[in-house]
Amino acid sequence: MLKKFTVAAALAVSVIAFSPIASAADVKMVGAITDIKMAPDGKSATATLKNVKGGAEVTILIKDDVTLDKFKDKRIVKGDEIRVKYDDAAGNLSSSFKKTAGC
Amino acid sequence: MKQQQMKRALLAVLVSGMFLPLGAQAAEADLLKKLEALTKEVEALKAQVQAQQQTTKQVADKVEMAESKSIGKWLTVGGDYQFRVDSMRGETKTYTDVVGTFANAQNALQADFFGNPVGVSTYFGPMTTSQALTGLMAFAQGMTAVQTYSQAQTFLGANAAMVGGLVGFASTVPTYKPKNDTMYSHRFGLDLSAKAAQDVSVSARLMMYKTFGDQTMDALSNGSNAPFSADRVGVFDGTLSHVPSDSYLNVDRAYATWNNLFDEDMWFSVGRRPSTNGAPTNLKYNTEWPGRGGTPALLVDYAFDGMTLGYGFDIDALPGAYAKVCYGRGFESGFRAPLMNSIQDTDMLGVAFVPIDTDRMRVWLQWNRGINIFDAPKMTNTYFGNTAPSINLGDIDWFGAGIMGKIKNVGSGDLNYFADFGWSVTHPNQNVSANFGFQGLLTGAFFQPEAPSDKTGGAVLLGVRYDLPSKTKIGFEYNYGSKNWITFAPASADMWTSKVGTRGNVYEAYVIQELDAKPISSFASKTFFRLGFQYYDFKYTGSNNWVGAPVKISDVNGQMMTMTPLSKAYDLYGTVEVKF
Repeated sequence: MLKKFTVAAALAVSVIAFSPIASAADVKMVGAITDIKMAPDGKSATATLKNVKGGAEVTILIKDDVTLDKFKDKRIVKGDEIRVKYDDAAGNLSSSFKKTAGC
Repeated sequence: MKQQQMKRALLAVLVSGMFLPLGAQAAEADLLKKLEALTKEVEALKAQVQAQQQTTKQVADKVEMAESKSIGKWLTVGGDYQFRVDSMRGETKTYTDVVGTFANAQNALQADFFGNPVGVSTYFGPMTTSQALTGLMAFAQGMTAVQTYSQAQTFLGANAAMVGGLVGFASTVPTYKPKNDTMYSHRFGLDLSAKAAQDVSVSARLMMYKTFGDQTMDALSNGSNAPFSADRVGVFDGTLSHVPSDSYLNVDRAYATWNNLFDEDMWFSVGRRPSTNGAPTNLKYNTEWPGRGGTPALLVDYAFDGMTLGYGFDIDALPGAYAKVCYGRGFESGFRAPLMNSIQDTDMLGVAFVPIDTDRMRVWLQWNRGINIFDAPKMTNTYFGNTAPSINLGDIDWFGAGIMGKIKNVGSGDLNYFADFGWSVTHPNQNVSANFGFQGLLTGAFFQPEAPSDKTGGAVLLGVRYDLPSKTKIGFEYNYGSKNWITFAPASADMWTSKVGTRGNVYEAYVIQELDAKPISSFASKTFFRLGFQYYDFKYTGSNNWVGAPVKISDVNGQMMTMTPLSKAYDLYGTVEVKF
């Protein structure tokens, strides 16, 4: 009985450990926008951010309406510093895209 | 012969056989030479390309460096201009003007004395005219020494005759309808924002605000008559550049902000704060959605010098959530010397928690405490002369909760909405203000001190704005304040008095029409016209004044008051505004 339980527990742990949820990673960074490209249909956009630490460039995919609206009416433009959270296992899809400004 | 021919052919083959490899060897050597030359050329080209790349990189680095140092990269300049015309009407209640009454008494007793220096006083017989005049002066001097409720009771008991005698000099002001058909004003603001270093920025706003044809705020303070509202008696530190005064370009805001502290969404900011025009006034003023700066306008609209420490949370269920602690100094009392200066600094502490802050919805919770509230701010050339804090009256707590949001595509436009609720709780100490006839923190009336007790007030501010594709924006706002409601919002743009501090009802409707002009100076630049109407329906006296207990407007009938009690006020206004 104990053996069965041990096997089941090990199996459960391995399922959790190797599940797709666990492998999807949210990445956070702060960077300045170097480029914004709107999709022709206006339903998505990509923004290239230059990490303030090290200068590496990352292209983020944006699909949420709130951020897309900000691109459209220029409330977010090139040069703005952004605090972004994205899923690198889902094509760098942004889950949070905000200006860093605090006051 | 045949054999000889065979020999010749064989020889030719042999000879040619000898020469053929030699020819092939020569071609190979030539090819090798060419290959060598080609390799050299390629290497040279490679070197050239590398050199070119190096040069390009150097140029790029230089460009980047030049760009980073170019003024447009680190400095943002903007601003706004507003022309405004107000047509104002009001209705007052009959009251007795305190300043006028004392002036009447002084003038009458002086005339009595100079007319008959050794005779019996016409007003305070059997005292002589000299004794009466001296008595009035002693009364006035004695008043200033009174600091507490019990001292006030003692003083009034000892001077009952003089207090009773003053009734004879009452400057009664009957009900009247003040009006100003046209008051023009204009305001200019210049915004500067500099990225000083990584994560460090400095922002400033310089402002000028004046009425046409004047360099004072007399047009709003009622000139040589008792003012209508405590927040429009004169210009002071918290309202500088927010009420029309003069053409000086004052520093409305100047603060440094340090972002991304400890690599977290955390910031610290210090300076003259953006603590004016907070949410949800951005709808009426047609400005950007409020950021993390500022405080809800129902509780605070005051230019504070202070600091903020804030933190943004990363919680999926609470998008944009953040909290901050704010501190501001409302009055700096200077050096301490017990016999010369007993007044304390006035400070404001605030804690804000904003659980949701997206461009579609913002929810806020706020607590503020005003510590050592003064009786009157420093002002010059007012109806009461030059004023200054003379005593601390106690503390005030404020609590607020609000929501604002935007619903897109409601009909042909977008609907903006807000609802904000506020509570105020006063905690008076034993002090009373001698300058205001022994009134305390929401306690007492002139020469009628009241034992200190906490007073709770409430307010609500509701509104909608509908944005049409034609860039027409139509808005309606309503607010109500209860009897003991007190806020800290004298810097609002309202002319009569800050409407959110009104003890009663205020209705406001407006329409904004933006020009469909292509922005040039910045993406945020715009030009628009605003036409609006405000109707104040006062239920209690003393809106925006924490000195003295409110009196029901319907009960006002000749009482001694420092301000002219308004029962109704109307303001039809129009603006032309350019933001660049």
